[in-house]
Parts: sequence; C-alpha cells; structure tokens
Amino acid sequence: MLGLQLAIAGVATGSVYALIALGIVLIYKCSGVVNFAQGAYAMLGAYISYFMLRLHLPAVVAVLAAMAIMAVIGAATERLILRRMLKAQIVSVMMVTLGLLIFFRALCLAVWGPDQIAFPQIFPAGSIDFAGVYITYNYVAAFALATTLSVAFLCFYQFTAIGLMQRCTADNTRAALAIGIHVSNQISIAWAASAALAGLGGALLATLGGLSLTISDIGLVAFPVIVVGGLDSLVGALIAGFLLGVLEAFTEGMLTPALETVLRKFTSIDSVGALQQVIPYALLVLMLLLRPQGIFGRRGVERV
Amino acid sequence: MRAEAQAGAAAAPLLAARGVSVHYEGAISALEHIDFDVPQGALVALLGANGAGKTTLMKAIAGMLPFERGEVTAGEIDFDGFSCVRAHPAKITRRGVALVQDGRQCFRSMTVEENLRAAALLKPARAREMTDLVYDYFPMLREMHARAAGFLSGGQAQMLVIAMALMGQPKLLLLDEPSLGLSPVMVQAVFDAVERVHRDLGASVVIAEQTVPRLLTIATDAYVLSRGTVAIHAAPSQITEDELQRVYLS
Ligand SMILES: Nc1ncnc2c1ncn2[C@@H]1O[C@H](COP(=O)(O)OP(=O)(O)OP(=O)(O)O)[C@@H](O)[C@H]1O
Ligand SMILES: [Mg+2]
Repeated sequence: MLGLQLAIAGVATGSVYALIALGIVLIYKCSGVVNFAQGAYAMLGAYISYFMLRLHLPAVVAVLAAMAIMAVIGAATERLILRRMLKAQIVSVMMVTLGLLIFFRALCLAVWGPDQIAFPQIFPAGSIDFAGVYITYNYVAAFALATTLSVAFLCFYQFTAIGLMQRCTADNTRAALAIGIHVSNQISIAWAASAALAGLGGALLATLGGLSLTISDIGLVAFPVIVVGGLDSLVGALIAGFLLGVLEAFTEGMLTPALETVLRKFTSIDSVGALQQVIPYALLVLMLLLRPQGIFGRRGVERV
Repeated sequence: MRAEAQAGAAAAPLLAARGVSVHYEGAISALEHIDFDVPQGALVALLGANGAGKTTLMKAIAGMLPFERGEVTAGEIDFDGFSCVRAHPAKITRRGVALVQDGRQCFRSMTVEENLRAAALLKPARAREMTDLVYDYFPMLREMHARAAGFLSGGQAQMLVIAMALMGQPKLLLLDEPSLGLSPVMVQAVFDAVERVHRDLGASVVIAEQTVPRLLTIATDAYVLSRGTVAIHAAPSQITEDELQRVYLS
C-alpha cells in the first residue's frame, strides 16, 4: 500500500518535473546551451504566481500572467546574455547559466525571504479514492495539467509551422538560414517557451509542496536524469521527469527510512539527509559508463 | 538624361557585385575588389581552384558570412535593387536568392518530405504545386519521401538540397560545387536538373565548380577566380582547359 501511494505521488510530481525537463532539452536542441537556470525559472514562476494570486486575481489569470512574464524573462535572458556568448567556450556558457541560477535565487531570497510560504490553494480541496489510496485533488490536477501541456507541446513541436522551424533550427543552423528561417528568433522562442513551461511547473510544485527557494533545486537534480534520457530527446526528457519523480518518492519514502533505521541501530548517525538528490547523480555516473549518448539520445550531438 | 537612366536600368543585371572585398576573422583576406555580374536569365560558371574564393563569394551574396566570422569589408552587392551587404540571410532568401551550400546542408533527422515542407515555409501559398514540380524533376525524391534525409546517399542528398532551394521559387539560384563527390552518372543527372530549372523556371543560376567540361557547354558566362581576384571573365566557349590549368597552377 505504501508502494502504491509512493508510486502515485511520484508519478504526479514526476509529470511536473517532465514539463520542466522538456524546457531544458528544448533549449539544448535549439541553441546547444545546457541551461542550469531552468530550476530558477521554475522557482521564479512559482513566486510570481504567488505574487499574482495575492493580488486576488483568478487562479487561471494569475498563472497565465506568471507564464507570460516568465516567457519574457526567458527571451530576455537569451537576447541580453546568451546571444552575446555565441562564440564563447561551452564551459563559460555553463558557468553563466549557473550564475543565473544563483542570481535568481538571491533575488527571490531578497524579495520573499528564506522561509517556506504556504501557497494559496488554487485547486479545489478534497481527494479521490484510487484503489484504497487517497489522492488529493492537488496531485490529480497537477498531473492532468502538466501531462496535457507536455503532450500539447510535443504536438506543437511536431505539427505546426513554428514547430517545424524549431526542429530545423535544432537540426542544422546553416541549412535553416539558407531556407529563410530567422534562426536567432527561433532560439528566443525556444527560451521563452521553455521558461514559461518551467514557470507553470514551478507553480504546480508549489501547490504540492509549498513555496520556497528549494524549488530551484529541480534544475540541478533533473539535469543528470535528462542526460540519462538523452539530452537531445524531448520524449527522453518526459520519461526522465517521470523517472525522477518516482525515484525521489521511493528514496524519500522507503530507502531513506530503511537506511536510517539501520544506521541508528549500528552507528551514531541518525539521518542520511537529502538522499533523493544523490540518487540521480549516482544514476548518471552509471549511465555515462554504460551508454554515453543516453537512452534515447543520438550519438554526436554538438554545439553550433 | 532620364531616358538614358531608364535604358541603363532596363539592362541592369539581376545581381551586381562591385569592388567586393571579404575578410575572415578581421584579418584573412579571401576576396579582393571583385566585380561579378549575373544578368537576368544567365547561367554563370564560377570556376577556381581550392581556396580561390568561390564559396566566399556565394556566402557574401547570400549574407552568410557573419556566421563564419567573415565580413564584406568593401564594395556593394546589389540584388534586384536590394543591398545584400549586412542584410540578414533570411531576408536575402526572402528576396529570392537561394544558396545551395557545399556539404549538402539539409535536415538530417527529418524526412525528405519534411525537409521540402520546411523549405516551402517561405512561400507556403504554392507549396503543393512546387512539391509536385520538384518530385517531377527528381522522381527519386518522391520514392524516398518518408526516409530520413540523413540516410540518403550523396547524390540523393544533393538532389534534395537543390529541390529545397527550388521550393522557395528563387530568382537567383547559387550552387556551390554540386558535383563534388558524385559519380559521373550522378553529376550528369544533377546538371540535367539544373539545366531544366534554368530553362523552365527562368531562374538565373550560378554554379561554382573546379572543373567540369559539361558546365562550360551549358553556361552563358564564365568567371575564373584565382586567390580572391577575377583572373578571367569571358564567354565559356573562349575558356580552354589549358588556360584553366595555367590559372589554377599560378
Ligand atoms: N571560415 C573561414 N575562416 C577563415 N578563412 C577562411 C574561412 N573560409 C574560407 N577561408 C579562406 O578564404 C579563402 C577562400 O576560401 P573559399 O572557401 O571561398 O574557397 P573555394 O574557392 O570555395 O575553395 P574550394 O574549392 O576548396 O571549396 C581561402 O584562403 C580560405 O582559407
Ligand atoms: Mg568552396
């Protein structure tokens, strides 16, 4: 029963992680940048949603407004910072996105303080009974919303004209330019979409676990799992998100308590801390040894 | 005075490059004061040995140099009344210049059909008609329409990139070494297709090659570049193999 409970919670959280991870892959495919600031976008989206909700806007309006603001922030990051680094070393670019993560965290810390904030209830209170396990509407709604949006985005990417231009840009910049695609605009669109999706993801995480700076950790935790899925595969990112959610739930709900019981019995250590953040990296090391291009990735992805 | 200006305008070439110099990385000189014209409806052969500057000239026209750390440092390139110097390549493409780059630049992860659809985004109104047309030109592409472009052979990929260039209905088609690495039969097929495009679609064409006797029989005008300058500009019939050898070896 605990297993089922954890699986359900893991899948629900994982669907939100998947939404956020989608953005990391989208940006990587289009511009070759590994964006460590994706978690910061999620966190910022959550805080901005909170701010909007406090203005007593309807929940839909508040969250949509937050997504729009995040889209602007995403596009601005690309235009003002990353566009100037087109010819920079890949390591410098990574350092810059890490720097952005730290900057946005500090910004939220300065404005909203370090304490966890109770996020306003945006979904109806209550729960449904699923095979003897109670699932709150929060989880049901987060799962439904995140999954619908992820699928909608994949369809957008696959079947619309802008999606086609996105895929062209991701595949071959030189060829995209030659058929008249304004490549730099496509890269801005990718960053905007990615930040907006992450912003919604952050708001959903806040409805599940409260609002705090730790939402931004998801970027760092998700990264190894995405590499496992294959950095250039959108479907890989979705699966990676779900995998991360389930892994985290089971680590937190089963592995950590079991380990702590053992440790308490035989040693003076009585807590193993944030084990759920360690597991993804252990998985990454294992994966890189076995299949460097990831499960769904193609070999030989390089930056253009 | 006015009549004279109008007469001059009527005879103006589709593309006129005047005194064009190009430098890479702010230092390496690749073209020096090139004059290069493409009259309306012409098929121009652009010859030259390795490193002569053929690719550079085509990239300068198509506005692709900034993406290679190159820059037009002097001169003017006028295409149909539009200045190509410092214009974005997407804008130049929209004006009607299609560049078929060296290296068969297509979207390898996408199918042949998707590649063509992407190339038609520029002029979606006639996409259907143009797709039928390029399938008619290159029947092999219709057979392979569902195959990922990355799995095409060199010759097939060359057909695809030419077809993609045609989807935008260009006024000026620039082909950079289309026969490179192809079997003689494939080279033949590519040139047949280009000749047909030139004749039926009324597009002006520039083909860069090192040496292809066939090219000189279909071209209406020829330039031979050597170390970034125009060594010869003459009618194709006047250019002999010996003369080419001499320029290439100089
Ligand atoms: N990206 C670049 N950076 C620096 N120099 C370059 C670059 N591309 C070309 N060059 C230089 O510019 C000159 C002209 O090169 P270009 O590629 O235009 O020659 P080409 O006639 O197309 O030769 P090929 O037949 O080998 O393709 C050469 O000296 C080359 O070294
Ligand atoms: Mg060349």
